[in-house]
Amino acid sequence: MRLTPLPSRVRKWHRHSCLCCLLVLGASAATRPHYGGTLRVEIRESFEVPDPPQTGPHLAQLPPAFAPAQWDAPRHAIYSADDKAPGGRPFLDAIEIQMDRRLADQSIDLDLGKADLVEIDATEPRRNPQARNRIWSSSPVRLLLLVFGARIEDPRIREALALAVDRTAIHNVLLQRQGEISGGLLPQWLSGYAFLFPVAQDAARARTLLAAVPPAARTLSLGVPDPALRRIADRIALNARDAGLALSAAPLNSIADLRLIEVRIESPDPSRALAQLAAALALPEPPRADSPEALYAAERALLEGFRVVPLFHLPGVYGVNPRINGGPGITPLGEWRFENLWLEPPRP
Amino acid sequence: MIAAVKGWPAALSALLFFLPPGATAAEDSNGAARELARKTAKFAGPGDAVMVIWRNVSSLGSSEFAQARAAFEAALKEGGGRLGDAAPAAEAHLTLSENRSQYLLVEEVRKGEERQVWIASWNRTGAPSLTAPAITLAKKLVWEQEEPMLDVAFPAGGILVLSPSKLTFLRGAGAGYPEWVGQSAPFSPVRPWPRDLRGHLRATGATFQAFLPGMVCSGAVDPSLSMDCRASEEPWVLESGSRTLLLAAFAAARNYFDGRVTAQSGVRRTLAPFYSAASVEEQGRTLWLLAMVDGRTQIFDAALQPVATLGAAWGSDIAGTDARCGGGAPVLATQPGDASAPDAVQAFSIVDRAATPLTAPAELPGPVVALWSSGGSAAVAIVRNSGTGKYEAYTITISCS
Repeated sequence: MRLTPLPSRVRKWHRHSCLCCLLVLGASAATRPHYGGTLRVEIRESFEVPDPPQTGPHLAQLPPAFAPAQWDAPRHAIYSADDKAPGGRPFLDAIEIQMDRRLADQSIDLDLGKADLVEIDATEPRRNPQARNRIWSSSPVRLLLLVFGARIEDPRIREALALAVDRTAIHNVLLQRQGEISGGLLPQWLSGYAFLFPVAQDAARARTLLAAVPPAARTLSLGVPDPALRRIADRIALNARDAGLALSAAPLNSIADLRLIEVRIESPDPSRALAQLAAALALPEPPRADSPEALYAAERALLEGFRVVPLFHLPGVYGVNPRINGGPGITPLGEWRFENLWLEPPRP
Repeated sequence: MIAAVKGWPAALSALLFFLPPGATAAEDSNGAARELARKTAKFAGPGDAVMVIWRNVSSLGSSEFAQARAAFEAALKEGGGRLGDAAPAAEAHLTLSENRSQYLLVEEVRKGEERQVWIASWNRTGAPSLTAPAITLAKKLVWEQEEPMLDVAFPAGGILVLSPSKLTFLRGAGAGYPEWVGQSAPFSPVRPWPRDLRGHLRATGATFQAFLPGMVCSGAVDPSLSMDCRASEEPWVLESGSRTLLLAAFAAARNYFDGRVTAQSGVRRTLAPFYSAASVEEQGRTLWLLAMVDGRTQIFDAALQPVATLGAAWGSDIAGTDARCGGGAPVLATQPGDASAPDAVQAFSIVDRAATPLTAPAELPGPVVALWSSGGSAAVAIVRNSGTGKYEAYTITISCS
């Protein structure tokens, strides 16, 4: 082909970025990325579905760089590199995912070199991991919160529990100071004003509020769908008892009065993130906010009435085998981005 | 060839220096502080005292914090308000905060039972400044751009810049050319570029060749840039200094040469895949060093028969030169490491099949993404600046005195 030159000024090239090119091309380093190998990933989640998920975090984020090659729900999947992936074929040949894997087993597999990337939960007692392993961490994007069911109509009960929880003790002891204490739905790094929402324990005020509540209404069941959150739920139950609420933590069932759950921030835009959280928690859709002040007002409105009680924002944390290069493979939002990862070639 | 472009780095530096800065934020901390002060004065009431408590949870320093505070206090007075800790009518807590895109000045103010929250914000600005790294080898910045750069070359009258999307020729300022002017010719790859794209330029006089995965282009820069590209698997020409070269086939969907090589003598061999090659002289004999895909650097004789494995830990990119230092032509090598680490280029000589450092490492402001021999005693290093994110082309010249 014969190409016609495009006259232009030097200055233009210097000042105008070629963003598409930057996004498409991963820059290599002094040691060039090595093609080949399988990345072995372990996760806690299991998928009882006949086909690979198309939406949601993690697995659905692997395409288009990697395409599902084998789907053995609920425990095992293989995704293989797509030669025609945008930005070029990934360096890895494949990603093998073991699902439904307990966190403790994941840590052992990482230490034994049987896994390359495993989840590390802040609520797990801190083990003494192999010093050579690395950690990848997202921003605090996992919101841990209490969500009341419709049956608890008395706002004094909801507010009393919000005041009774000793977030600081849970953060220091059970969460080992990972993430942030939060009274807001949006984390501080995203909103800039999360500190405006109160987080201090006030058991005396909680008791005052409950004094006017009939004793029969002071017995509540707390659903805990995720066993990893059980120890936090037990501590909340203790705090509640001190304030005069009989709260019993149990695995989630349909009659739980409230639940301790985790939801994820999925957008870097604070207004969108708030709308997404509201939808996930079945709260009214907040108005689109065009300023931090308007966003604060919208978030405050969602929290009025204590239907939801934010507790903590936690990061997504992964243990990483040292043979992985090209990382981090986790974005600040906790998304999987494995297309630029590569594995150290075996030494001859 | 290098001598012809000696004046360019300075001219380019000057050009870059005088570029206008990026757009400034519409409002700053002073504006935000004044906005909140006016609201506070109105809320407290004319002449009533306001107790103000400040804190900073942002990454802004104490001078910005003090500036915002001073602006608030001045504007409060202007608005009819008054600062005072004794029997204040209102109590205001001001927090300097931030999120991903903005700085925030957050005020919680109370007057009796009434509570108000106001938030004023301004955009975050400012990119990390380009820092000048220490120079050990003679290195000169010849070009920088935001788009990735694969190689640069120096044909007569200007500089050629090879990018993933286009080839650009920049003609130097001088008689008949009032300022630096460029021409571009875009590429239309027959298939998507590989992820770690590589490309190489060769310039001779006013003509050039550009090698890209699965594509070869040739053209001229005089009287204007013209380029002819075609899909091709023909081998790339890897020069080492200005006297030796190697023809090597590039794996079109990968980032390495597949091992099929032809020496100047016409000898053909199929070796293991490698990233880069450089020739050196040891006791008058030519040796080829190949940075292999498995991480080793292997030594081959002139007939491309393996001789030894080098013990040195080098990066994937090496380049040969003609400089006569330490008794033989030295080789330039990058350091091992991943993309998060800064990088350096260092000159070595090969003595008794072992690498001996000839110079201290020339530190560079980011990973070296390409290193090609540029003829003579120079090489071209393309660096992704970790501070600015821009791609920078340096000539690295070995001076032996």
